[in-house]
Amino acid sequence: MFRENFPISMPRFTRTGFNVLVTFGLAVINSGCGEAPQAKFKYRPTTEDLIPEANKAVVKTLTEDFGTPEKLVAWERFPVDYGGVKGTVAANDGPAGAFSVTLDGDAGKIAKGASLLWVTGSQAGGKSAEATVKSFNAVTKTLQLASASTAPVAGDRFIVAFGEDMQLGRVVYMKNCMHCHGVTGDGDGPTGKFLNPRPRDYRNGKFKFTSTQSQEKATRDDLHRIVQYGIPGTYMPSFLLLGKRETTAVVEYVRWLAIRGEFEKRFVEELTNDYSESVIVDSIKKAQASYEEKKRNKEEAEKPLSESKAKKEAAAAFKKYVDDKELDGAIEETANLLAAAWTQSETPEVSVVPTSQRVEDTPESRERGRLLYMSNTTKCYTCHGPTGRGDGAATEDFWDKPGTSVKFEKRGLHDEWGNPLKPRNLTLGQYRGGRRPLDLFRRIRAGIKGTPMPAFGETVLKDPQVWDVVNYVMSLPYQQKQPTAVKHPAEVVAKNEEKPAN
Amino acid sequence: MHWWFPGDGNAYSTLGGKIDDLFYLILVIVSVTFVGTSAALGYALWRGAAIKADEKVWFSHGSHSLEVIWTIVPSAVLLFIALYQLDVWAEYRMKGFAKEKDGSPKIITVVAEVTARQFEWRIRYPANGKPLKPTPQPDDIYSVNELHVPTGGLVSITLRTDDVQHAFFVPMLRVKQDAVPGKMIPVWFDATMPGNYEMLCAELCGWGHYKMKAMLVAQSADDFEAWKDKASAEQFDDGYRKPAE
Repeated sequence: MFRENFPISMPRFTRTGFNVLVTFGLAVINSGCGEAPQAKFKYRPTTEDLIPEANKAVVKTLTEDFGTPEKLVAWERFPVDYGGVKGTVAANDGPAGAFSVTLDGDAGKIAKGASLLWVTGSQAGGKSAEATVKSFNAVTKTLQLASASTAPVAGDRFIVAFGEDMQLGRVVYMKNCMHCHGVTGDGDGPTGKFLNPRPRDYRNGKFKFTSTQSQEKATRDDLHRIVQYGIPGTYMPSFLLLGKRETTAVVEYVRWLAIRGEFEKRFVEELTNDYSESVIVDSIKKAQASYEEKKRNKEEAEKPLSESKAKKEAAAAFKKYVDDKELDGAIEETANLLAAAWTQSETPEVSVVPTSQRVEDTPESRERGRLLYMSNTTKCYTCHGPTGRGDGAATEDFWDKPGTSVKFEKRGLHDEWGNPLKPRNLTLGQYRGGRRPLDLFRRIRAGIKGTPMPAFGETVLKDPQVWDVVNYVMSLPYQQKQPTAVKHPAEVVAKNEEKPAN
Repeated sequence: MHWWFPGDGNAYSTLGGKIDDLFYLILVIVSVTFVGTSAALGYALWRGAAIKADEKVWFSHGSHSLEVIWTIVPSAVLLFIALYQLDVWAEYRMKGFAKEKDGSPKIITVVAEVTARQFEWRIRYPANGKPLKPTPQPDDIYSVNELHVPTGGLVSITLRTDDVQHAFFVPMLRVKQDAVPGKMIPVWFDATMPGNYEMLCAELCGWGHYKMKAMLVAQSADDFEAWKDKASAEQFDDGYRKPAE
């Protein structure tokens, strides 16, 4: 933080005076406002819609496995770095409760009273009461525990102050991010609703600007970049001076929030069809309608269940679902899926890397790019417009909500979160996901997650062709005049077909 | 005696020292005035309390000579301050436009266009060896929340804002200038020492005003050019790495 760069050199007495003033001021302010409201994780509307029994089970799972903002729970199955100093017992040769260790991280950080958790060895897995560090000698690397329990063996792994990075991440998040992104990471913080574009809702587990293939999660580096440099053209500012440790911690916390949110989403999706109140009410309504229809036609029909009876039946079915361990199975399955997805995103195989150098930025390359842009293989112009101003014909249409035949109320494209979305105006020179040619390459190759911007795979565009489009797009902000009048797409397609780009 | 100034108390720009001198001058004038008027007030209270019941009092209200004195004296002091600071003000806001004494144009390096927005600073530099153009150029270099400037000479930035009013403030260089929507304001300053200086927004610009802290990195001209080359290489990275053979 700033203190590192700008040491404060005020004399001692002034600082004390200042502190007293601040403390007094805070006391006055606090007495005026009462206590701050407790931070709470919100649940999805679909969770709230479950029958009470199912809702209780979901809330219990989320609270036990993820905790509350005040008391976080580290679920170690997920690839989240919760923090702490890890180390190995080098030799257990000292007096009782003392042993020499080798630490993985910074040795200076072990403080007196920090908790110690055994990862391997005879005491791992909660067999011993939680140990506390009595003292640590950084020179001899000797760790003294407060109570001498079963003696550890050389090679046993342990973690001191487990979860401290997560706690730091939470503090940084609450200070800087919560205001827009909300405590739960649902993009519904106090200022969130006034912003356009809306802040990201992490709970789909999707981030727009990533370096990975279209179906993969974001990497830590992607999120790090966004926190550091912000997203121009949106309200996400740059947090360049946050400090390396703080940034890393807040990225871990955001990943954890995304995992928590997506866990809730997927888990509830498993239950919604059978145990959601609105689904039950809807089905009864339908049954009632068909019953009346049949009665009018003098056909034989069974009277549908009453609402309370149907709910009781659903509750009984849910109890069976729990007893048959199917609920546990659903939890397992969701957790496995998410753990695998977030682990995979960090592997180099899923990273989008060009296999060829950027094609030299010549007028010919730009022309090839322009023809591809206007062609029906890419259809860039339908959204981004023939002149790249983001005013293509698609922005005038009414589109279906995904998975339904209901239209959005507003004209134009929408993202996965249901917010109206304008195709980027490419003539502004403003690039949300970064302005490196590599960033533009990735946007075209892997698309933008959660938006109608598709991924153009190898079969559609070869790498040099992508570079041609990148060169054309990057030249758009600097065009003085359109060299030729905009041609009708059909004409362009004809031209493109007679002159293959490769 | 510098502890009330930001950082270690020293001004790291040529003009900054003069601004500090002005500060001390005004501090002295104000202190003398404050102590003097307090003493006079105290005397009047003491003298008034000591008047005996049968003694005739002197009403000063409406005294022409007193009115003249306390009009003329503060006016003279204010006029003195106004004239005395003219040179510093001219150097801060006007001399950059003027020519040198021998008639040659002033050499001010225009380093960057600094655009304030809620709640960050976006900065655009011309490529090495090129002048800053008012509109973006294909080879411009961009940074955010980190303004790099060379030391050892006057540098200038073009200050703009994307949305509301902001103010460009570098306390340790004693530079402050409002950014006004629709205006491109030249701000010039120099940094005498290489180093990192806090750069802030000094105009309440919205709920995230506190987030608008950035860093001004002053470095030698060579380092500055090297940094620009490095930033340019990073910005035009195509991500292609030759596979190891």
